[in-house]
Amino acid sequence: MSVDRSVIRELETIVGAEHVRTDPGDVEPYSRDATPAFRAVPDAVAWPGTAEEVAAILKLATSRRVPVIPRGAGSNLCAATVAERGGIVVVLTRMDKILEVSADELLARVETGVSTAALADTAAAQGLLYAPDPGSRTVSTVGGNVAMCAGGLRGLKYGVTRNYVLGTTVVLPTGEIMKTGGRLWKDVAGYDLTRLLTGSEGTLGVLTELTVALLPMPATSNTGVAYFPTLADAGRAVDAIIGHGIVPATLEFLDAKCIGAVEQYARLGLRDDAGALLLFGDDGAQDVVDRNLERIGEQCTATGAMEVTLAENIARAQALLEARRCSLPALSRLGTMTILEDATVPRPRLAEMVDRIDAIAHAHDVPVATFGHAGDGNLHPTIVVDQHDDAAIKRAHEAFGEVFKAAISMDGTITGEHGVGAAKLPYLIDRLGADQMALLRRIKAAFDPAGILNPGKLGS
Amino acid sequence: MTAIGRDEPGAGTAAHGTGGHGHGGNIFDPELLDRCISCGFCLPACPTYALTKDEGSSPRGRITLMRALETGRLDPDDDRLRKEASFCLGCRACEPVCPAGVQYGHLLESWRDHQWRGRHRPPLAQVLMMVVERTPLVRLIGAVRRPARTRRPADGDVRTAGAGRAATNGRAPRPEQLTLMLGCFERGLFPGVSKAVQKLLPEISVPENQGCCGALHAHNGDSAGGVALAEKLGEELPGVIVTTAGGCAAHLAAVLGRDRVHELSEHLVKAGYEPVGEVTVDDGHGGRRRARVAIQDSCHLRNGLGVSAEPRALLGAVADFVPVAGDGSCCGSAGTYSLLRPRDARRVLDPKLDAVQTAGVDYVVAVNPGCLRQWQTGLARRKSRIRAVHLADLLAAAAAGRRLPTGLPIAARLPTVRLPSGMRVGRGFRLRKDAEAQNTDGWSA
Ligand SMILES: Cc1cc2nc3c(=O)[nH]c(=O)nc-3n(C[C@H](O)[C@H](O)[C@H](O)COP(=O)(O)OP(=O)(O)OC[C@H]3O[C@@H](n4cnc5c(N)ncnc54)[C@H](O)[C@@H]3O)c2cc1C
Ligand code: SF4
Ligand code: SF4
Repeated sequence: MSVDRSVIRELETIVGAEHVRTDPGDVEPYSRDATPAFRAVPDAVAWPGTAEEVAAILKLATSRRVPVIPRGAGSNLCAATVAERGGIVVVLTRMDKILEVSADELLARVETGVSTAALADTAAAQGLLYAPDPGSRTVSTVGGNVAMCAGGLRGLKYGVTRNYVLGTTVVLPTGEIMKTGGRLWKDVAGYDLTRLLTGSEGTLGVLTELTVALLPMPATSNTGVAYFPTLADAGRAVDAIIGHGIVPATLEFLDAKCIGAVEQYARLGLRDDAGALLLFGDDGAQDVVDRNLERIGEQCTATGAMEVTLAENIARAQALLEARRCSLPALSRLGTMTILEDATVPRPRLAEMVDRIDAIAHAHDVPVATFGHAGDGNLHPTIVVDQHDDAAIKRAHEAFGEVFKAAISMDGTITGEHGVGAAKLPYLIDRLGADQMALLRRIKAAFDPAGILNPGKLGS
Repeated sequence: MTAIGRDEPGAGTAAHGTGGHGHGGNIFDPELLDRCISCGFCLPACPTYALTKDEGSSPRGRITLMRALETGRLDPDDDRLRKEASFCLGCRACEPVCPAGVQYGHLLESWRDHQWRGRHRPPLAQVLMMVVERTPLVRLIGAVRRPARTRRPADGDVRTAGAGRAATNGRAPRPEQLTLMLGCFERGLFPGVSKAVQKLLPEISVPENQGCCGALHAHNGDSAGGVALAEKLGEELPGVIVTTAGGCAAHLAAVLGRDRVHELSEHLVKAGYEPVGEVTVDDGHGGRRRARVAIQDSCHLRNGLGVSAEPRALLGAVADFVPVAGDGSCCGSAGTYSLLRPRDARRVLDPKLDAVQTAGVDYVVAVNPGCLRQWQTGLARRKSRIRAVHLADLLAAAAAGRRLPTGLPIAARLPTVRLPSGMRVGRGFRLRKDAEAQNTDGWSA
């Protein structure tokens, strides 16, 4: 054990013995997140209850050179919470209070361990919208969302988590408790540390409190679905929609294999003869929503849609969105190993990218299914293989290596929203180049001179 | 590369920390264990995770523990493994929310088969299992407590049962055959429930000679014994078996097939039963008003068999149905759980007691005898005026124009007797009838 007994004793003094665990069976469940091919058992798990306790833990860790891995709900998909170098997993879920929801200021203040759905529901009860909407919203914590800069199903019109973080309380690895930003929409005093911390993947500081922006709840929303002969046709429809000045809240796509998997799981009566499905949705005033959905439908028909239907009621609209949210787990039922990627390209090149992915998969003889956020050019090509078929797994990894290269060559990126973590760190240099990698390391060192916070991830 | 693998460890694994112990293996069906993709969607549904906020007490964490047991990474005698195998309620709330279709209930049975083998089984569970295995003992409980019995010559029914053994094996039951299962504990604790069913379904036969369905065994580390008992009961009870215990229904259905087993509310709705009458309570101004009624789902009925709309529809026809947040989640009864882990069972029930109190209902309806007992004990402990009743009782009372008891049950009105040594005479587990409730057989605090 790299963490010696005296460290554990100090840890117990800080958070109370009942909030520290070191026994093998107690730490085993923290050996992984939603990225199961990565696994590493931490030496200890601690549940602090206040920012001060977090600060004391980090000071201790810095002075004793012990790795600390912040953890929310452990739902990330890039091995961002795996304790590759051992150390202490610090779980934030005890700090789950919603401190304030202000309709006048259109903001909420929360502790970081609160779940995304709890924040959204509480805001909704007051007629307010917390816009970031990751597929994992019922599970994930707001702290985890901010640390990953989570995207979601409303990105096109509403942006991603980054666009809603006004201020943070952050504890630095050296123990300082600091506030960045605040309750202001306008504030240019200093570097924008709030933005830097957003998406920092638990490598720069531990977030303990967040002030996030809310919006007035749109009066109504609706969803529709269009089926296309091929995914490339759906891609052209997306271009046409946005080209005609419509920016809907949601524009998601599923290819034929995803449609089949989702239908098998959720039984929504989706068509089984289409090459692609485009799910579109908008919110706002009733007449605006009606008009926009009608115009989207027109564009879909003009670009060759086989069928366009609008959700006839709210329950049906919810069900369609749910279908998109569950596409990853539904796909995973098809095999024993699901390899999911997150490559992103400029939106007009979506159809081109989908063709490239299909060609790459074909060349490597692996079955690929792709779904994703069409409006953001964010694709989730997914390969489902047999976990015992080493050759297929190897071919899948090679195929994805080429998918990344293709994305970068099209001015895209290796990950749009799932993050880098330990899983994609080896590919990061292809995207950023050596100079930027070096700058990232210097930034990391400025925050974390001892290199104790989530080592082996961003900035390493 | 983001690999959602069901194996572990896979490519990219960093093996830090304690290594394996070289035990384990062949405990779980690998197909079932492999299904979990560790997405974490089950975390918010799990009552024990809600209590602890500790991954190890969540479905995903428990599956990680099972995998560590299977691969030998954790010692089979590991404390936490042992603790979690019994701390889990077995409520299966993690199943309907799981997008990957993990059959957690089956995994838990395999886990307990292994973890509670031989001397490791909680002694109380052992005793209960021994009792219900012996049909004469179970019948004795019935003889003392007098649950429903078919008035027509009982022998005739038993013979029908004998004939049914041959007739129904592997084939669809004849439509006219309908038998009521008398739950082992229900016939002792709530004999009035089966009598109420007879009033709702006069054609139902209630063979006296029936044993236990085996759910108790299946949930307490003897799934093979659980299957054997269910098969035996399937031979004793011909045709479609109707049960008033959601937990028994799910277990029986898993062994005998879905078609042969109907939980009461499910059967009534399928059979087109139209609830009659109304349940009313004193309106405080000398008149009567329609009762406000909440429900407690049976976990296995809801999560295992997908039956939850039926009891709501039925009770909503005779009273005002009041949806209460969390009415679909476990009450802590969880089979033998409330007996084996009373403190945890109370922690699970407490927020639910708050919720019904806030909702201001008159009754909480249960569709499983264990839940009924858990609620009655919990409400009495709080000296609440809310009463817990079985759905069968509620429907029969409405149909007969009979008033259900209201207010504090007798036992809750009694002061707790303090003995000099600090021992107390508790009022938890009681077979005594309420004086006030004489007209509805089988009410107990
Ligand atoms: C089925 C499924 C669907 C998903 N859908 C989406 C989606 O649509 N869009 C999307 O973007 N993501 C999605 N994700 C990924 C994941 O849910 C998000 O990345 C989410 O933001 C992670 O939140 P968490 O609380 O689980 O964080 P964790 O997984 O616990 O942690 C993630 C990272 O944040 C750090 N961290 C956590 N809390 C703190 C804190 N308080 N301070 C500092 N660092 C912290 C950790 O160290 C780690 O690096 C999905 C995941 C699954 C399983
Ligand atoms: S929801 Fe299902 S697949 Fe996801 S972690 Fe829970 S059991 Fe595993
Ligand atoms: S059965 Fe119930 S208590 Fe056990 S893991 Fe599933 S949800 Fe939690």
